[in-house]
Amino acid sequence: MKKLLAVLLASMMMLTACTKKNDSKPADDMGQDANTKVTLKVWASQDDQEMTQKMVDAFIEAHPEKQWDITLAVVGEPDAKTKYLEDPAVAADVFAFANDQLNDLVSAGALYKVTRNADDIKARNSAGSVGAASKDDQLYAYPMTADNGYFMFYDKSVFTEEDVLSLDVMLEKAAASNKKVLMDLSNGWYIASFFLGNGGKLSISPENTQACDFNNEKGVQAGEAIKNFAAHSAFTTGDDSVLVAGFENGEIAAAVTGTWNAEKIQTALKDNYAATKLPSYTTTDGLVQLSSFAGYKQLGINSQTKFPVEAMDLADWLTNEQNQVLRFETKGYGPSNLNASQSDAVQANVALAALALQSQFAVSQNDVLGSYWGPAEAFGAAMEAKDYSKTVQELLDEMVAQITAAK
Amino acid sequence: MIKSMKAKRTIGNAFIYVILTLLSIVWVFPVAWLVMQSFRKEGSAFTPYFIPKQWTFDNYINLLTDTSKFNFPRWFGNTLVVAIASCILTTVLVLLTAYAFSRLRFKMRRPMMNVILILGMFPGFMSMIAIYHILKAINLTQSLVSLVLVYSGGAAMGYYIAKGFFDTIPYAIDEAAMIDGATKNQVFWKIILPMSKPIVIYTILTSFLTPWVDFIFVSVIMKDNYDKYTVALGLFQMISRENVQKYFTQFCAGAVLIAIPITLLFIKMQKYYVSGVTAGGAKG
Amino acid sequence: MKLQSFFKKLSDAVSGFFAACANYFVHFKKGDIITKISYFIMGFGCFCRKQVVKGLAYLAIQLGYIYFMITSGVYYISMLSTLGTMQQGEVWDEALQIYRIQTGHNSMLLLLFGVFSIFLTILFIAFYFMSVSRAYKNQLLMEQGKHINSFKDDVRDLLDSKYHITVLSIPVILTVAFTILPLIFMILMAFTNFDQTHQPPGNLFTWIGTSNFSKILYQNPRWSSTFFKLLFWTIIWAFFATFLNYILGIMLAIMINKKGIRIKSFWRTIFVTTIAIPQFVSLLLMSRMLLDNGALNNLLLNLGIIKEAIPFLTNPNVAKVTVIIVNLWVGIPYTMLITSGILMNIPEDLYEASRIDGATPVKQFFAITLPYMLHVTTPYLITQFVGNINNFNVIFLLTGGGPQSLNLYQAGETDLLVTWLYKLTTQEQNYALASTIGIVIFMLLSSISLITYNMTSAVKEEDTFS
Repeated sequence: MKKLLAVLLASMMMLTACTKKNDSKPADDMGQDANTKVTLKVWASQDDQEMTQKMVDAFIEAHPEKQWDITLAVVGEPDAKTKYLEDPAVAADVFAFANDQLNDLVSAGALYKVTRNADDIKARNSAGSVGAASKDDQLYAYPMTADNGYFMFYDKSVFTEEDVLSLDVMLEKAAASNKKVLMDLSNGWYIASFFLGNGGKLSISPENTQACDFNNEKGVQAGEAIKNFAAHSAFTTGDDSVLVAGFENGEIAAAVTGTWNAEKIQTALKDNYAATKLPSYTTTDGLVQLSSFAGYKQLGINSQTKFPVEAMDLADWLTNEQNQVLRFETKGYGPSNLNASQSDAVQANVALAALALQSQFAVSQNDVLGSYWGPAEAFGAAMEAKDYSKTVQELLDEMVAQITAAK
Repeated sequence: MIKSMKAKRTIGNAFIYVILTLLSIVWVFPVAWLVMQSFRKEGSAFTPYFIPKQWTFDNYINLLTDTSKFNFPRWFGNTLVVAIASCILTTVLVLLTAYAFSRLRFKMRRPMMNVILILGMFPGFMSMIAIYHILKAINLTQSLVSLVLVYSGGAAMGYYIAKGFFDTIPYAIDEAAMIDGATKNQVFWKIILPMSKPIVIYTILTSFLTPWVDFIFVSVIMKDNYDKYTVALGLFQMISRENVQKYFTQFCAGAVLIAIPITLLFIKMQKYYVSGVTAGGAKG
Repeated sequence: MKLQSFFKKLSDAVSGFFAACANYFVHFKKGDIITKISYFIMGFGCFCRKQVVKGLAYLAIQLGYIYFMITSGVYYISMLSTLGTMQQGEVWDEALQIYRIQTGHNSMLLLLFGVFSIFLTILFIAFYFMSVSRAYKNQLLMEQGKHINSFKDDVRDLLDSKYHITVLSIPVILTVAFTILPLIFMILMAFTNFDQTHQPPGNLFTWIGTSNFSKILYQNPRWSSTFFKLLFWTIIWAFFATFLNYILGIMLAIMINKKGIRIKSFWRTIFVTTIAIPQFVSLLLMSRMLLDNGALNNLLLNLGIIKEAIPFLTNPNVAKVTVIIVNLWVGIPYTMLITSGILMNIPEDLYEASRIDGATPVKQFFAITLPYMLHVTTPYLITQFVGNINNFNVIFLLTGGGPQSLNLYQAGETDLLVTWLYKLTTQEQNYALASTIGIVIFMLLSSISLITYNMTSAVKEEDTFS
């Protein structure tokens, strides 16, 4: 019986037309001889296409020993996981993604372990970015940028450098000059800064569910602070487009966001443009520095690729020092490469300097699972809507219960 | 007596004019806003005011000429091709199905109609993954052909209105023709179809619209193949987080460009649409 | 009455089936050598008896099926019971310094193609029985010296007495491929543990029975309370979205069609314009406009009509009203177009008579217009209701289900079941749970509408002419 099945299986393999659809052929023809053409696809966000193409061209030039056929396709970092899981077999061989997707991608078996040249990669990138690309101390991706976090932009004409250390002072000053401080509290990404700053922890349990302690005493302090912030007359909320419009028409004097809005805000504020770490908020126990999520972008190697070695070489190249510098120069992306980030130009960049300042308080986003975002948003939404039908403690208990709920 | 009736009617009509005018304003308002946004010079995505401070044609010009990032003309062409192909295929399928259920009597008729009725009740996008892999198995993904198949594949299930229309055509006409020796095939093409202009146009119109507005199916099927996108999905890319600030006004311009041909088509074909759906809808 | 006839039909079907089975063996015994051979080689009985094309077609079907089964069908069907056993693995390759990944089974594809293979098998069996019975019938016709249909005759039949086969075959094939097959695939998924931790390509998923159903209906309080809350809101939404649109749309149509109202086509065109703008554009614009600090609130504040911004989309109750009202904007033009023709069909003398009795226009509307319209358009209303229960676009584009709420599990206050289900698949990759919800909605809707639909007069009267 087994023999029969084996024969059937073998004959099935031979029929390319029929086996094509499940692509179950193991990747054993790893093009070692120079004549096979190496076909690779790279996913990069639309804004980065031109730049990535240049890097790829340079890579092909530097490796004339093989025949390359490298294509680019548009899938932005935020969508990479979703697009990948729709059909791994047609996903890119090398793809860019944000580090909060790493855990899911690894548990879905989507990524090759990074083992070639691993020591060099670990040595040349910042510890935070390497940690964000690792799970259980195993490197799974190539750190590419270190700027996917948030900090604060402000208007120098409204706040002094002293003011921006304290959220309370900022709110008072802003209210006095009839301006607003924007933070998107109905968003789990931003709201976490209050909890994490006050010692809250997000981690992954052994059962691969989210563990969260935002409803303990410290968490309630943070929750109360959020409540007070949202109730303040100088508070406002909104997404990126509201934020940018607010700076443009002068309604907003300070906002929590990231480097992707730096250019727009700089244009709007002109000489009054400034950025720094997040401020501190006041609890009954004293001042608490707001934390944040440190976000990184990285390149992963599709576990279904036919050319893993070549894909790794390409990813290595795309994230080396030279190309991280190029990324910064073309797009202003903050490098994860240590040498690149120490360059004068990077140090002089206002937004990246603020991000670096904030990074000492930042927490990696790797340990955040999908179940966190909805309930956290719901808590923030209740605070923004000033819905006080339940106490902060009750709301946080429910939030944590939903976040940690087993599947 | 008659005079007061007349006066009453005039007052009544005046009242209706007022209501209609108010309603029209409410309905046209978002449309007008869209058009104004498409001419707005201030680049950002969001303005807390309605009327642009500065006006420009650049949004349209850029949309049509700067194709390096968003190839709007190409996407428009793709959509047009898909729309024409799928509306032809859909129309043929729908009319034939409707004809079969309206005019022909066979054993499986009622069971099939019931099955079709309940099939429409499962949330459509749940089946997308399966459809994608079926298309992949026959090597059709990321092509316009597969899109046509997806839009027309389930189309026959929307036969109700057309069947209702055919039901209103007296069966005696068929009988007379068949006595003269016409086959059922001939009856359909030579007698029923020429009498069914309104429902044909209704079906063409509704099926022509689908490719212009769908953004979910096309994204699952085309994935990262930008060249094969349709306008709806293409426009959707313009309002992703990284693009919305820069491209929102172009997005509005694109939306206006889609709306213009559809509006003209609707205005032109309105008469048929109404009479088609009237006769068909009355019986469902 | 209905039930009785249903059981009669059922018993007829069962006895018919057994009769067919019995015939299968009886015919084999009675059959001559050609008929007997055609039990093993499909189409032989046709080929030898003047139906060359038909015989070859049957043979092609048989060969094609055997080829498919050997190349992949047997494999897929055999994998259905486990949905894959070989998980993706890795082996250290010292020379290349990498862990080589060894592709494992993909449970999802195994399930899909397993279902597909079974479909083909059923289809093949149907063809097989057709060919066998054809062979025996041909034998009888031959013995009795009667005419056997030639290929030409068959074609003629297909264009006339069997026209329904010609006409319906393509729609049926397409519907099976693009609707029924995916549907069964999704239904089966509800009985598996396909979620984030059992996801291809790295992991396998397998059958777990009906535990997803018990979880959603009672076992997991968080899921079930969210499910029932959302179900309640979904029904409220569908009710308003259907009937409010319907009644107001009719009123609009009446106003435009009223005698003495000029430039009718102008009014109609204005409302139709909004249909021409794709929903994803108009609804996204609306959601921007309705923000707390959006253009509409600013306008109202500046005009002094309101003192504080209206939380159109951020307050749970206001948001629910907002989505229903915005949906009126979307839906009324359609209803207006669809009903205006039917309105003109209402006999004028009905109105005349009531006018003489002194009825006001409002009374006329509820006493004459509405009952008439309801009578005529019940099927339309049912489809609308069902469509609104599954109305993904309006909610998804306008509010995204928001505002998020802690009273619900991973859902927002305006989420319909269908948008919740979408969130579960895209954010949590919990396909099993999503399919389970899909099935529950499906069963609910189909039973309600099947009953209503078959009871409506429009359907009952329909068969009278034949």
